[in-house]
Amino acid sequence: MSLSFTREPKLFSNLNAVETLNLSKKYGKTDALRGLDFAVDQGEIMVILGPNGSGKTTLLMILCTILKPTSGTVKVMGLDVVEDGTRVREVMGIAFQEARGFWRHKPSSILRFHASMFDIDPVKRQDLIERTMKDLELWESKDKMFMHLSGGQAKRLETAKVFIQRPKLAIFDEPTSQVDLRGKRKIWDKIKELRDQGTTVIVATNEVREAEYLADRVTILHQGHRVVCDTIPRLKDAIAGGDVVEVDFEDPMSTKLAEDLKSLGGGLTLSPEGNQLRAKVSRAEDWVPKMASASYNLGAKISSIRISELSLDDVFLHVTGRGLEDQP
Amino acid sequence: MNRVLTLAKFNIGILLSQRTWFFLSWGLFALQISIYGSLMSKLVSTTKLPDYFFFYAIGLMVIIVFDSGADVGRHFVEHAHEGELPYFLSLPVSRRGFLASQALYGVVNTMAKVLPPLLGVLYFLGRLTVQGVVFSMLALFLLGLGISGIMVSFSFIAFKSVDIYSAVLASLSALLVRFSTIFYPLIIMPNFYSPVSSLNPLTYGADLTRWILGYDPSYLLNPTVAAVVVTAVAVGTLSLSAGIVDKIIEGVKAA
Repeated sequence: MSLSFTREPKLFSNLNAVETLNLSKKYGKTDALRGLDFAVDQGEIMVILGPNGSGKTTLLMILCTILKPTSGTVKVMGLDVVEDGTRVREVMGIAFQEARGFWRHKPSSILRFHASMFDIDPVKRQDLIERTMKDLELWESKDKMFMHLSGGQAKRLETAKVFIQRPKLAIFDEPTSQVDLRGKRKIWDKIKELRDQGTTVIVATNEVREAEYLADRVTILHQGHRVVCDTIPRLKDAIAGGDVVEVDFEDPMSTKLAEDLKSLGGGLTLSPEGNQLRAKVSRAEDWVPKMASASYNLGAKISSIRISELSLDDVFLHVTGRGLEDQP
Repeated sequence: MNRVLTLAKFNIGILLSQRTWFFLSWGLFALQISIYGSLMSKLVSTTKLPDYFFFYAIGLMVIIVFDSGADVGRHFVEHAHEGELPYFLSLPVSRRGFLASQALYGVVNTMAKVLPPLLGVLYFLGRLTVQGVVFSMLALFLLGLGISGIMVSFSFIAFKSVDIYSAVLASLSALLVRFSTIFYPLIIMPNFYSPVSSLNPLTYGADLTRWILGYDPSYLLNPTVAAVVVTAVAVGTLSLSAGIVDKIIEGVKAA
């Protein structure tokens, strides 16, 4: 398996908002992070992509000083997370994977408390809270107690804390899980707005669509390692075969046809029923006519052909050997 | 400092919104002092121990202080298990500042639960003086800080297992309350009982409070020693809990 490291982290440079060097975290005998080197440039959106258990949340918890590293060094805005924990917390804000609220408090009261802890100007505070709640369609729920919010509303409230705070480093752990499609788009746009205002953003997710919408760069984590880190186009370009062709046959393919198609090159995957084919090829416009000709010669009838670009899931599959959705 | 106070104010706001618990605590005290206090003071020989009702009432107040101190530990653990602890630990407050905010919560909790019963008992017994109330509250406050420190120090157990934490708390509560001068003075205790009781911080807290409120000193420990022990326990356990919060406790485990 070839791993691409097209852009090495610029470790402990003044330009980096976040830097980790040989970072490890153990829970008992379990290694959650294994010697992770990771860097985020100032003012970019870095998406950390990985399945559950890949170490994403552990990394974020160390960055926001809730967990302590077992070994290695971590700096946020040049501050060591172990030595300067309080100052690190002053410059960062985190929206947790699970919404953290107070059962009997209303959303506006939770946000007011959060704003007061981060010294948001009391004169502007109420207006900022109202605007953010309206942007995230939470205003209608302003009189509900936290315990009566839906999962999606609680999650939007969790992200709202970071939006009103406008920290130098904003961390979002799966910011749109449980949120409907419309809500997702609103949160994504607010995250981009935050980046445009100068905030460095880290988003951890296992949703390919979220990563593709948001990322300036993507880091793929797998079993506590950084497998690869680059922009999405470069990650896709690094994989041989930039096009994906999916072909449906009316009947299961014969062994002869399968062998003939294999001889055309490209990575082929056949469905268990034998009537669907997925091929990763360098140029779909060259491969499709040859495939159609081979099929016609052997009397195989094609019912549909779909051509698409590689997705981040394909990149993940390529660099880890497993798909994002195949993970335990 | 401002943020510590903001955090404490927020937690105290939550505490004060749960008024039912205060009414229950005061009601339980009233019930216990009026029924068991009266009965016990008749059962205990007055020739050996003068004014047992008063002795018993102060003992009950020490129990309230103990329970309030234990509340701080439970509150801390609840934060963790309801998912609020990671949020609090992500706020721009030092770990010691966070602990201080919890201690302030504990102080208000203790004051609110103890002050009305104390005023009621002292008024009923005709011993109500400003000086007595202020100094006895100070002694109980120090004792409460010490208990809070012990409970927060033990709370890291809850991060491994809530069941073990609850068992430790229940055992500790049973032992500390019984092996102390909460209900009987040290000088009338059997030989096998009194040495253990004299190692108990509740013994010193209870006797110091009784001395401040004018109980016969011949039945109590030396007040200077008691004051030193109560202060030392408060400072020691709070330092220990600060160290534990700073070095050991982590808010969440996630892979």
